[in-house]
Amino acid sequence: MEVKTSKVRTVIAYIVLLILTFLCLFFFYILIINSTRSHAQIQQGFSAIPGKSFFINLKHVLHDANIPVLSGIKNSLIVSTGAAILATYFSAMTAYGLYAYSFKFRKAAFIFIMLILVMPTQVSALGFMRLMDNMHLLNTLWPLILPSVAAPAVFYFMYSYMQSSLPMELVEAARIDGCSEFRTFNRIVLPIMKPAIAVQAIFTFVMAWNNYFIPALIISENKKKTLPILIAALRSADFLKFDMGKVYMLITIAIVPIIIVYILLSRFIVAGVALGGVKE
Amino acid sequence: MAGISFKNVEKTYENGVTVIKDLNLDINDKEFVVLVGPSGCGKSTTLRMIAGLESVTAGELYIGDRLINAVPPKDRDIAMVFQNYALYPHMSVYKNMAFALTLLKEKKDVIDEKVHEAAKILGLEEYLDRKPKALSGGQRQRVALGRAMVRNPSVFLLDEPLSNLDAKLRTEMRSQISKLHQRLGTTFVYVTHDQVEAMTMGDRICVMNAGVIQQFDTPQVLYDQPKNLFVAGFIGSPQMNFIDAVVEKEGDGYALKFDQTTISVNRSELADYVGKTVVVGVRPEDLHMEKEYFKGGNTIKTLVDLDEMMGSETLLYLAYEDAKIIAKVPSPCPVHTGDEVELAINTDRIHVFDKETEEAIFN
Ligand SMILES: Nc1ncnc2c1ncn2[C@@H]1O[C@H](COP(=O)(O)OP(=O)(O)OP(=O)(O)O)[C@@H](O)[C@H]1O
Ligand SMILES: [Mg+2]
Repeated sequence: MEVKTSKVRTVIAYIVLLILTFLCLFFFYILIINSTRSHAQIQQGFSAIPGKSFFINLKHVLHDANIPVLSGIKNSLIVSTGAAILATYFSAMTAYGLYAYSFKFRKAAFIFIMLILVMPTQVSALGFMRLMDNMHLLNTLWPLILPSVAAPAVFYFMYSYMQSSLPMELVEAARIDGCSEFRTFNRIVLPIMKPAIAVQAIFTFVMAWNNYFIPALIISENKKKTLPILIAALRSADFLKFDMGKVYMLITIAIVPIIIVYILLSRFIVAGVALGGVKE
Repeated sequence: MAGISFKNVEKTYENGVTVIKDLNLDINDKEFVVLVGPSGCGKSTTLRMIAGLESVTAGELYIGDRLINAVPPKDRDIAMVFQNYALYPHMSVYKNMAFALTLLKEKKDVIDEKVHEAAKILGLEEYLDRKPKALSGGQRQRVALGRAMVRNPSVFLLDEPLSNLDAKLRTEMRSQISKLHQRLGTTFVYVTHDQVEAMTMGDRICVMNAGVIQQFDTPQVLYDQPKNLFVAGFIGSPQMNFIDAVVEKEGDGYALKFDQTTISVNRSELADYVGKTVVVGVRPEDLHMEKEYFKGGNTIKTLVDLDEMMGSETLLYLAYEDAKIIAKVPSPCPVHTGDEVELAINTDRIHVFDKETEEAIFN
């Protein structure tokens, strides 16, 4: 009897998981299928079978002078990689500062950072844009990369991870071994933080990759545009030239780097890097 | 020259709690000193002040002739072994041990030589490529020792390094650390709350309670001449028996009386205590069943609550008035739980304490 119910449960669990998996992957499937079909085919409705227009769509996307896809990919890569590196490194450093040192305004600093977390981007966007204008940084990629230095959500994640996985004894051992504070962070703390860094690097990368709102405000020059702006531009192209196959192709192109980054970084998301260093 | 001196050192943590008040302690060069005391008495705090991991609130702390209050840990020429090993989990055993030397920019072959030498002494050679995760507790602790060794520091600090190991391994590591001390010839400061470790390893033992040094002396002196009730009760296992007794004048000398027992002693220190109650301390091994110790009056007669055969000795737990008394007698022991037994106190070896100040009157 016991065995039977648990078997039924397993079956139900698998069915639910299969449905969820299907829901998640179905859109990718449609996307990829549609990128192989022509505009006319797509308008006829859904089809599970790939079309023959893959290379035609690809050619159209790559040769559209108004949509500089290659520079778009390059810009997006620069912005997202830069943002991921800055956000993870500096958030880890901030978190470490608050975790490992006791100083007078530690609590206040923590609360201040948490307050930034709840502030919506839209509120500060206009001010940010004017600031960038005054600094002559409009139409450059800097405004899209540098602000990642301050990423409260990433900071909070790093802080929590340190509390659970970074024993202060390790830091003390490093200090006694003659390690400078900065080096302790780079050589001892960062390696232990690897899983947290990998998770946050993926998140930050994807978020920067998909970000449309701020880049659309900052960038107007074609050559500096990131992929989301290009996709938006393509979708709002005038009715006669509108080609769904092209749109789907561009979106497919836009997704590939994310998948690669995920595969590369997910290796590091393993539990227990810190295991064995100290007795729990 | 790397003795350590505390001069009126005080430590108050950020939360306002003063853990150490006015600590004065002089540790000689090359000495093995054990800090021992109950949990929370400030042993780790004291050690961490030497290491530079905690600041000194007031007073002066010297290593050798150098005032080190404001010297960062890395410039103190010390090494520390932590209770929880604190190995770098992402580095191999070799790298863990070599880390401090690489920071000093030592030459590769010098590092290699030192690490291998330490590994050889500690029996770690075959594990050099492993990560700490793949080692047993004892091996990890040896790596921690090795990491401290390779630096050749002038002071070795160890904070309960053996408390995570099982009993057998602990005994083994105990002698290994003692040997290491002889071999290295550096100053060792060793924190423990295990008094067996303290007695077996220390040249001198510093018994602490509530942030105050109770007595700082050799193991033998601590055992034979405890300065107060705390030290008497802390050192020795099973612990010393304490019985309240009244002092009476008896001829030229004095007598300590409790229940049916009278112990005659000829000590002038008791002059001021006539008519007062004092605490008599008797070590379990100073209670005897052999007839040659019976001098009339110096015996206690009671029931055995429990007998514990420990091998060559047997512990008798006695139900005596409201005091719990333990006697350590040779095995095999003729009496068992529920039997009545008469034990004689070796009056030459009793300790007497002032009941109020808890200080020793004589030992
Ligand atoms: N960072 C800290 N902030 C505030 N109080 C502390 C801090 N560290 C220790 N204490 C307090 O100081 C006292 C002494 O602590 P310490 O760690 O030196 O004790 P210990 O003798 O090493 O005890 P144990 O045998 O349990 O390790 C304790 O009462 C403890 O609560
Ligand atoms: Mg401690």
